[in-house]
Amino acid sequence: MKYKLMVVVSALALAATMSTAYARPVKIGVTLYGMKAEFMQLWAAAAKQSPAIKSGDAEVTIFDGRYDPLVQQDQFGTMISQKYDAIVFAPIDAEAGATAVKLAHDAGIPVVGTNTRANTDLLASYVGADDVRSGYLEAKAVMDKIGCKGNVVQILGPIGISAQIERSQGNEKALAECPQVKVIESKTANWSRAEAQSLMEDWLTRHPGQIQGVIGQNDEMALGAIEAIKGQGLKVTDFAIAGIDGITDALRAVKAGEMTSILQDANAEAQGSVDVAIKIINPNYKPLSAIWTQYPEMPWKDGLAKDYSVPWTPVTAQNVDALLKLRE
Amino acid sequence: MTDALEQISYPKTDRRTQSMAYVKTIIKRYGIISAFIVLCVILSIISPYFLTRQNILNVLRQSSINGILAVGMTFVILTGGIDLSVGSVVALAGIVGASFATTSSVAGVYGSPYPAPMAIMIGLLVGLAAGSVCGLVVSRFKVPPFVVTLGMLSSARGLTMLYTLGRPVPTLTPSFRWMGTGQVIGVPVPILILLVVFAIFWWVLTRTRFGRHVYAVGGNARAATTSGIFVSRIRLIVYMISGVTAGLAGLILAARTGSGLTQAGIAYELDAIAAVVIGGTSLSGGVGTVTGSLFGALIIAVMNNGLDLLGVDSNYQQIIKGLLIVVAVMIDPSRKKRGG
Repeated sequence: MKYKLMVVVSALALAATMSTAYARPVKIGVTLYGMKAEFMQLWAAAAKQSPAIKSGDAEVTIFDGRYDPLVQQDQFGTMISQKYDAIVFAPIDAEAGATAVKLAHDAGIPVVGTNTRANTDLLASYVGADDVRSGYLEAKAVMDKIGCKGNVVQILGPIGISAQIERSQGNEKALAECPQVKVIESKTANWSRAEAQSLMEDWLTRHPGQIQGVIGQNDEMALGAIEAIKGQGLKVTDFAIAGIDGITDALRAVKAGEMTSILQDANAEAQGSVDVAIKIINPNYKPLSAIWTQYPEMPWKDGLAKDYSVPWTPVTAQNVDALLKLRE
Repeated sequence: MTDALEQISYPKTDRRTQSMAYVKTIIKRYGIISAFIVLCVILSIISPYFLTRQNILNVLRQSSINGILAVGMTFVILTGGIDLSVGSVVALAGIVGASFATTSSVAGVYGSPYPAPMAIMIGLLVGLAAGSVCGLVVSRFKVPPFVVTLGMLSSARGLTMLYTLGRPVPTLTPSFRWMGTGQVIGVPVPILILLVVFAIFWWVLTRTRFGRHVYAVGGNARAATTSGIFVSRIRLIVYMISGVTAGLAGLILAARTGSGLTQAGIAYELDAIAAVVIGGTSLSGGVGTVTGSLFGALIIAVMNNGLDLLGVDSNYQQIIKGLLIVVAVMIDPSRKKRGG
């Protein structure tokens, strides 16, 4: 009788382990380069809305890197000592980010890069958008509006962050197509609306009536430039202004005809990287986020691809209302 | 072990007042350490990861840069001054030192990489130079330290950006990086450097005549001058100390992150000042210890670490740190003695 009981119990146990191959939720730590601006706030909110959390497949904790590479590196240390299963990483600096990734790699924790790149090939995967492409698209929009001749100013992101490097490359490609266009100023405003406003005010004073276009490497800075133009009593529509990200204020500005923007889908990056991270730890996981059906041009590939290129969505008069509705 | 200027007098009163005075001494002398121990106990109960070897080493390592800055800052604040430039000097010294230890021909100085000790020495000299400039202007030209070091904060940051035209200095040599990533008998090097720096400056402050003079200048500069203390020179030297510690911290930072960054050290002076204040040093000078500042830095690091372990939002961490600073000053018994 005891023998039969033992057989039954072991059979049940075996069945239990086979059906719930990974019952414990995957513990994911996300360290974002900095959360002062809206884009990263949207990103973090989207990550926390990941359907994998509700289904119990994952636990996601967000760390704010405070724009300091050492803080991000220390956060890696904390995640390693707390035995996180996987890390999702948006580094503030491409070089310093490589150091942090190596730490995690040596501790056996897979790192999924997202949004900004680190100069390392130790990443398990990367879920982000091609910044060279968006840099090209935004500069091209400015070139088209000014008729391929005139002067433009370029407002850069933080020097050294991969988005700045790659968007600059894209900007250069578009500028090369219009050799009559001159870049008369190019400086960083560190993704900040306030800094960009100061910069633009100074440039408008130094080059009165000579600036035709503004290439802002993100929306915050482009919006700062717009404020500066309005502040000086000039007409915004006399300028060709472009930004990237598709934050809410920029959508409103696009609607008002003040600038062009390209939507960076924070939701797709956030939920995509969470799904990929879960799949690395839990091979039985089927991705739950809606983004995989939303973007057929970015296939799931069973979570094994090294690079997931999240498509850009240029914001136009046709789709801006629909996009604004999503933000409510 | 208290210095001569802080005699606790026991007037002929009843036992109760005497015990109260005794308790106050204990709180004053050991308060910060007890607060630290209590904090650790609470956190070890709440989180199972807190007392693990890896986490303890993490916390110590995370406090090493701020701790080194706080030790230097203590000297400045003890004389009644302040040094707002340390964050920028961290960046400047770090990037200059890194430029001598990089394999990149674009970012490095001609002929780099040089041996690590040379790069380190140069970084320290940069810190010393920055501190000396501040010290000279404060002591010779009598410009308020707040203003001088604020000016250095800006200028040093500008120099940092100019030095590399805004670009980072990557690919540092392994021998240089050892300062940030190496280990000796299982203890990370930054922690050892912190302990050595602490030991040296503790000895200087408590066991040398110079240390006595620092307290004297902060306590009552006029009386100090009358007693024959060369106040100007004391003031100059403390800023040089602050500059050197900032330089050292900057080198460790570059070694840890693996590149010299122009954006390094932003707002680090605030954390250093916070550590010093939490550690019981009075901002008006004359009262305080490097031990207190060290534990102040440890408390900040432990608090950040604990809140990270508990998954608390970063913004709450900032709020709590602010409250900690204010509370630390409020309960400081010596504040009442000096009349606020």
